[in-house]
Amino acid sequence: MSTEVRDEDENAAELKIGEEFLKSKCLMNCEIARILDHKYDQLQQMSDDATNQISQVFEKSMQYVKRCSRYKNPDAVRQVREVLSRYKLAEFELCVLGNLCPETVEEAIAIVPSIKSKGRKLEDDAIEKMLHDLSLIKKFE
Amino acid sequence: MFFHITLERNMQLHPRHFGPHLRDKLVAKLMKDVEGTCSGRHGFVVAITGVEDIGKGLIREGTGFVTFPVKYQAVVFRPFKGEILEAVVTMVNKMGFFAEAGPVQIFVSNHLIPDDMEFQSGDMPNYTTSDGSVKIQKDSEVRLKIIGTRVDATEIFCIGTIKDDFLGVINDPGATA
Repeated sequence: MSTEVRDEDENAAELKIGEEFLKSKCLMNCEIARILDHKYDQLQQMSDDATNQISQVFEKSMQYVKRCSRYKNPDAVRQVREVLSRYKLAEFELCVLGNLCPETVEEAIAIVPSIKSKGRKLEDDAIEKMLHDLSLIKKFE
Repeated sequence: MFFHITLERNMQLHPRHFGPHLRDKLVAKLMKDVEGTCSGRHGFVVAITGVEDIGKGLIREGTGFVTFPVKYQAVVFRPFKGEILEAVVTMVNKMGFFAEAGPVQIFVSNHLIPDDMEFQSGDMPNYTTSDGSVKIQKDSEVRLKIIGTRVDATEIFCIGTIKDDFLGVINDPGATA
């Protein structure tokens, strides 16, 4: 299993999360909240005794994403992804930024160090513009 | 972090289910077997969102069971070392505190809590700065960094830190905001 990342080599700060996860779609908490809500409704329609089918993992995830989502409005969620995807970020970086909504450039670099790693051309100005766009979405939500 | 990934699994089905509803049976069994489980490689399987492909079944000799390779998409939660995320504090004691981020439990030892925060016992144990401006107690939301993961057969457990820039309490449930 060559694609598997051993625990010792794994480091999200350097974007070492394994090829499999790098290639996969990464989702922000607010997006997960919508998916799980939809699934929850489906489960309830399917049977009256929905509580039996809902796993603890599902329930905890749902509570968590509802509590830790920055954007509630579906349109805002879409806009966040659209804005962030203009900046050539990896999926993982995009979602960390979308989840945590940093306010300053230093904060953004601290939570996603990989955006400043070598070979990347994201200047501070660009990061600042990105954060500004994000805060606008939040303001007009 | 939550991911939407494609996974594969070999499903064994009893011959009594063979018939017009074979696919439905297979999907229902897949959900029952997989949702809520956890593996070290893919993390916690939160929900199956779709079945991509069901391959040709293979009869197992002697039992009559048929094995189907099933390709499906699922929402998984997989914590990574170095990842920064928000978590909700569930328990505080003098050793440190436990927090939850979705299905995963994270322990933050008192060595990884800033030195200016002191443990206060009582019926609401907490960590407080000397001036009392910042407090970590049950139900606080904290931003932390995962520095280690331990994988069990059925669980992933994480060690976190809040001793770094831009980490720590986000909101304080006790404060009147």
